[in-house]
Amino acid sequence: MTDDTLTGGAKAAADGEFQPRITAFVCNWCTYTGADLAGTSRLHMASNVRIIRLPCTGRIDPLFVIKAFERGADGVIVSGCHPADCHYTSGNYHARRRFTVFHDFMAFLGVDPRRVTFSWVSASEGAKWREVVDEAVANVRACGPFDEYRALAPDVAGTIAGASAAAALEEVS
Amino acid sequence: MSDAPDTHGATAARYFIDESGLRALTAELLAAGTEVVAPVATDVCQSPSAIASSACLLPGVAPVDIDYKLLGDAAELDLSRGLPQLSLKQFFLPEHEALCRWHQRGIVTTIEEVPTSFAPRLVLAAKPCDAAALAVVDQVMNWDYQDELWNGRREATTVFNLACPVIDDSCFCTAVASAPDDTKGADGLLTPVEGGYLVEATTDKGRAFVEGHKARFTSVDGAPAAESRERQAADERAAARVRVAANLEIDPASVRDWIDTHFEDPLLATLAVRCNGCGACTSVCPTCHCFDIVDEEEGVGHGTRRRCWDTCQASTFTLHASGHNPRDDQHVRYRQRINHKYSIYPLKFGEVLCTGCGRCTRVCHAGQDIVEILAAIDVAARHPEPVDSGAEAVKP
Amino acid sequence: MNELREIAGKLLADGDVRVIIGWEHARRGARPVFITQPDEADKLIFDRRCVHNLATYLNPRRDQVSELGKIGLVIKGCDAKAVAGLLREAQMDRTDVVLIGVKCGGVLEENELPEALALTPDNVAPRCYGCDNREPTLVDFLVGESQPEPPRPIMTIDERVAALEGQPLEERWAFWTEQFSKCVRCYACRQVCPLCVCERCVVDKTQPQWIEASSHPRGNFSWNVTRAIHLAGRCVDCGECERFCPVGIPLTLVNRKLQHIVGERFGYKVSDDPESPAPIGDYRLDDQQEFIK
Repeated sequence: MTDDTLTGGAKAAADGEFQPRITAFVCNWCTYTGADLAGTSRLHMASNVRIIRLPCTGRIDPLFVIKAFERGADGVIVSGCHPADCHYTSGNYHARRRFTVFHDFMAFLGVDPRRVTFSWVSASEGAKWREVVDEAVANVRACGPFDEYRALAPDVAGTIAGASAAAALEEVS
Repeated sequence: MSDAPDTHGATAARYFIDESGLRALTAELLAAGTEVVAPVATDVCQSPSAIASSACLLPGVAPVDIDYKLLGDAAELDLSRGLPQLSLKQFFLPEHEALCRWHQRGIVTTIEEVPTSFAPRLVLAAKPCDAAALAVVDQVMNWDYQDELWNGRREATTVFNLACPVIDDSCFCTAVASAPDDTKGADGLLTPVEGGYLVEATTDKGRAFVEGHKARFTSVDGAPAAESRERQAADERAAARVRVAANLEIDPASVRDWIDTHFEDPLLATLAVRCNGCGACTSVCPTCHCFDIVDEEEGVGHGTRRRCWDTCQASTFTLHASGHNPRDDQHVRYRQRINHKYSIYPLKFGEVLCTGCGRCTRVCHAGQDIVEILAAIDVAARHPEPVDSGAEAVKP
Repeated sequence: MNELREIAGKLLADGDVRVIIGWEHARRGARPVFITQPDEADKLIFDRRCVHNLATYLNPRRDQVSELGKIGLVIKGCDAKAVAGLLREAQMDRTDVVLIGVKCGGVLEENELPEALALTPDNVAPRCYGCDNREPTLVDFLVGESQPEPPRPIMTIDERVAALEGQPLEERWAFWTEQFSKCVRCYACRQVCPLCVCERCVVDKTQPQWIEASSHPRGNFSWNVTRAIHLAGRCVDCGECERFCPVGIPLTLVNRKLQHIVGERFGYKVSDDPESPAPIGDYRLDDQQEFIK
């Protein structure tokens, strides 16, 4: 493979750019299946995303996103079925209201809205999943590492645990 | 404390220092790398919190928060004698502190302990009620387990009090075996006099501190000009004691015994009817010391074991793993607080778990008033009434 | 005040209620009082120091209060909205309580005073400005004289929220993380809030520990954000959380921002009508979603 064929995240990795760590909370019926389709279709996309599967976006609690940031994520993707297509009929309608509150409120608190990406991706939208991922990675890369979140508990640094946390981060990225 | 003007004995060495000398001494200590804790007044409007307080837009005196802080500069030292919002407790039992850290890689687990010896530190211009609280809590911290972190910090710290003029009518230090010029738990006392401060060192540690910085202090023992300063200091301290005693007078022994023998008394049940169980009182209290220990996993295979302040007023404080909670309602939890402070602790350690600082009353926005509560119990203890079994169980 | 005392005394004497929860005068100002005898009705007062939201005592977890029997509650307009919230969420029945509304013209920001002062832009509680419920409708009785509107404070809460929103992102982050770092996790905000009635709060859950218990800035951020979001659309702006906070975190700014969000996004306005549906728990097919890809 020549350099010309590298795109997106693979290209960025080859260029030595910052690799954001992104956690994605996705619903089982639509987005997870769509992401799987992207995989079976051999679509190239950034490889920075770790997916956590849930039955429905209605299960998503703002605490999931907060926990992801606490544990080292630089960005988060939240994705589910399009409105009117929820496997459980109305889970995503409830989720939509919660997303709205969370999105607007976190921006007020000074969290860059580019760090949290919300999307509706259906089971057949493998290509859309690729777009969502690449765009999220680019946005979070532009924001930089979310060091200011991890700095919220300063006594981690300079200890065995702190050093190993840093080492663990380096291993995975 | 006795009513004699000089409560520290003829052998206490006495010195004088003026305010600029005190600041210069502080600067010298800071420059040498010694930590200095002292009350610091922060102009609320100069901090980013300004937008938080509309009071900053008012004409006149800007609102000031007083807190004990690690000084960065001697100029920050506030000698205005106001009451810091939180007590000295946080410097000996921090709000949260790591106890150990673990790291697991494969089958190897490493535990990192935290140090239990600390760099020397001075607390300057402490409130006597806050310093006295340290001595009271020393007892439980050395009871069935020697708390190395508490003891380590106590050993490393020298405390000099600043005599208190009495804050307001929620103070009651003299009712609980302390005083506005107490030196219990401290190593010395500064009393404001004309031109500066009379300084007395009351422990070996305090004397060693003064000896170590002799050049800053002027000895006043035997000096004629000093006599008027000493008299002024003694008068001011005696007047403060009278002022605070007027707020509350109780017999702690009969209060202790009454609580011990009246656990089911309706009076105890009704004391907390307006309490919300917020625990603000326990967080500002200099003698409250309950803590929780939590293991916080901070990543795969590593984390920190921490202790953090807890409150007996929280609904889950006595929640058992079985789901049973022996203190399942707020009035029961509040009764426990009164019981622990004014009966259980004295029966066990001979001292009330309270130094009369009054913060609990001032911080309670539901109107719980410890002065009122203690006065009511004292009345009940001194005037026992036959229990009427037909009486309403709950009376406000 | 006489009207209030007469109604209270009569309710107790007739046995319509077993306890009246209102305000009384005490050493440090007005404070909540619980009276069970008709002759105690003279203790009841209502003046500009009566800031407390007494609806917090309707929390079903307060056995000592609920065991007394039917409650007569004295309420201002903001308090009435909290009662409506509890009814809306089926935390109580309308028949559990007799509501004595008072006509209100605003309360003092600093209420722990020996006497009530006249309201001025300097001393009025900022949240009173623009109140739309000064004569509550969710009442069985409504007492008092009609009051003038509260004076406009020097800076309204909306203006302070707008000032924050005008700051760059980094400065907002610095401001809020500094504020939340002060938190000592006493949970006064939760305890005093009339709408915080969960039998087991999420912060107390240990299996798993979703919100770290320690009061370091990371744990505090998680707690304060969660508390706020769990009250989105439910908060009635009574300001008690901020008043009780022992370290002065400006929670009314957080709460007001959330009200703006549910107002702008869902068209929701907090009212004392228990029939109006709460915005979280409800949804519309055409809810806004411009930020969702």
